[in-house]
Amino acid sequence: MIVPYNYLPMQFSNHDAILADWEKLIQSTEFTLGSYVENFEKLFAEFIGSKHVIGTNTGTDALILALKAIGVGPGDEVISVPVTFYATIGAIVAAGAKPVFVDIDDRYQMDVNQIRGAITSKTKAILPVHWGGAAPDMPAIMGIANEHGLKVVEDACMAPGGRIFEKNSGTFGHANAWSMHPLKPLNVMGDGGMVSTDDDELANWMRIYRNHGMVDRDHNRIWGVNMRLQPLQAIVASHILKTVHVTVEERNKNAEILDEGLKALAPFVNVPPRPIGYWETYSLYMAKFHKRDELMKYLNELKIEAKIHYPVPLHLQEAARDLGYKEGDFLNSEIYCKEIMTLPAHQYISRDQLEYMLSSIANFYSTL
Amino acid sequence: MRVPYTAFKIKNAPIRQKLIQAFEQVIDSGHYIQGPNCAAFEQEFALFCGSPFASGTSNGTDSLHLILRAMGIGLGDEVITAPNSFIASASTIALVGATPVFVDVTEDLNIDPYKIEQAITSRTKAIIPIHLTGRPAKMLEINNIANKYNLFVLEDAAQSVGAKLKGKRVGSWGDAASFSLHPLKNLHAFGDAGIITTKNANLIERFNISKNHGLKNRDQCDFWSFNCRLDELQAALLRIQLQELEHWTEERRELAFRYNELLKPYVKVPEEGLDEYHVFQTYVVLAENRDELQKFLRDNGVEALVHYPTPIHMQPAAAGLNYKPNDFPVTQQLSKRIMSLPLYPGLTHEQQDLVAELISTFYKK
Ligand SMILES: Cc1ncc(COP(=O)(O)O)c(C=O)c1O
Ligand SMILES: Cc1ncc(COP(=O)(O)O)c(C=O)c1O
Repeated sequence: MIVPYNYLPMQFSNHDAILADWEKLIQSTEFTLGSYVENFEKLFAEFIGSKHVIGTNTGTDALILALKAIGVGPGDEVISVPVTFYATIGAIVAAGAKPVFVDIDDRYQMDVNQIRGAITSKTKAILPVHWGGAAPDMPAIMGIANEHGLKVVEDACMAPGGRIFEKNSGTFGHANAWSMHPLKPLNVMGDGGMVSTDDDELANWMRIYRNHGMVDRDHNRIWGVNMRLQPLQAIVASHILKTVHVTVEERNKNAEILDEGLKALAPFVNVPPRPIGYWETYSLYMAKFHKRDELMKYLNELKIEAKIHYPVPLHLQEAARDLGYKEGDFLNSEIYCKEIMTLPAHQYISRDQLEYMLSSIANFYSTL
Repeated sequence: MRVPYTAFKIKNAPIRQKLIQAFEQVIDSGHYIQGPNCAAFEQEFALFCGSPFASGTSNGTDSLHLILRAMGIGLGDEVITAPNSFIASASTIALVGATPVFVDVTEDLNIDPYKIEQAITSRTKAIIPIHLTGRPAKMLEINNIANKYNLFVLEDAAQSVGAKLKGKRVGSWGDAASFSLHPLKNLHAFGDAGIITTKNANLIERFNISKNHGLKNRDQCDFWSFNCRLDELQAALLRIQLQELEHWTEERRELAFRYNELLKPYVKVPEEGLDEYHVFQTYVVLAENRDELQKFLRDNGVEALVHYPTPIHMQPAAAGLNYKPNDFPVTQQLSKRIMSLPLYPGLTHEQQDLVAELISTFYKK
């Protein structure tokens, strides 16, 4: 039995509605922002309950745009985590600031108890990540930020459809970044992203900056960039948005089954705590596994497409050399990278496939 | 009869079926990021330009930005360019922390090679000539100066895919070149897209990593960077468009030369210099009483535009550079006379005749 990681051919097997809308777009020639992008921005704003949404070309651009909007620049420090996608830290550097890491907790999220210790006179913002689609303790992070007069940008790239009790992920911070990369719970057929905010002034600045600093066709108020969301992808996103809640629900059902099966394999497998009120998107279904590398090889040979996100913590990447960190600085992150594994748990995984994964993992450990 | 500035006649175009097929193939493949179409398009485009390497990107602005970075240009450096371009030619210089230094143009709307040397200082690192409107810049002279002072040459070829100088295409003259594949360009995607060319193997390697988060491979990040990739879907469509480009360009040229004959008595028409192959991405005439003429045309159903009414050195964004309007007298003069007329494959002779008739009527008044 194959357990595929990539579900895109299944998700888009029926694409007639998208093609029909694309034809309309091509006739309309609205290729530079325009009504299709605005329509999606409005839909997503309603979906998460934010006042403004600004479509961008990628999630990475969204992070850069949000950081610049809240005033992050050279000389500033931004607190984030070493367990995230490269772009989280790349965006801090792109904005001209210095990334400062704090370790992760047992849910693989920013350890809120370490934030205060990392704040200096240069700290401008905190950039927590909804890693895997599980939320960090956003209320606590906002409390600390308010205490110290800091801004917060949520990296909600994996979080569409997630929430903490009644409040949606990506609606806590001052300006929050989202990705629609094909393997995110809200996805397009290429790259796409957006920033959400309730702040009129930030929204206005971001709209101008993302489109060459243009205030009208002939005037550029500031040096800007081109990070516009593609109308073609806005159309895909508008269609997929309707399915996000169902997708996330399906993934939660799958996760529940995997959780139960894997907990039975303790101490070989360590499933993260799932506190009540935290509704995860399972962009990545992750747990820690004893003898991870051998297990993964075994599963991959069985055509179970397990993956690692990621094997090296960011403070130990070549790119981080100038930041002066060393091995041992963030122990939880380092252990995480050695033991973590992602299992396919997306909305197209069947009960049989889940059982097959669980029995294969049990088999592996039974031979130890 | 109306003459819109652009016309996207996909509905009845013979390639419509091919485009839809390509769409569906990519959708069904489930491979939407840097797949086989991106790789194939890069190869086909490099071959087309006569350049060893090409790399697809998200747009022409990101291309300029990442090339400048890959060249190591940053804080404290100066980069020379022309002030009559689209804003991105200069804003990307500012984005990497360097200072844009403007040099005036000549009547061909391209940078004046004889004024470049005066602008070179010890901080100058590169020249960005723009092949504006589809006409190649004076690359021989520019390359000579660059060699003499050891400067990078980055061609901003956003408006000139296919243009040639001495039989050699733009994109093969400088150290690197940036193309925009925006829907309003001669070779276009159906959304934002771009591609770069270079003959420098180190530069292409660095560039390919830098447009994908600085990733050497999935697990190794060599330097913090950006996400500026060409969509696989757009690449598939671009491959089909590229096959049509040469005959689309020929049609544009025929229409442009026909306009020239019709309009010569009334306005200064765009020329094609010796050894040049002009692709007329925009058809720009120099007209007296331009604003009134533009209004007159618009009132009579002809959409004429101005690229660009405010030179970059006079934009609010450039205030910090402290230029004055008359620092670039040719640019300043031209900005009051330039006007872009509708020109694209599919424009009819009747539409052209109407434009000419209106212009002649205007000047007889
Ligand atoms: C946590 C996180 N941040 C940022 C990004 C970057 O988003 P994008 O790939 O759309 O640039 C991603 C996704 O790749 C992500 O998972
Ligand atoms: C001369 C020039 N440079 C750069 C660009 C920027 O390209 P893009 O719109 O693809 O970002 C353009 C296109 O508008 C252009 O005409």
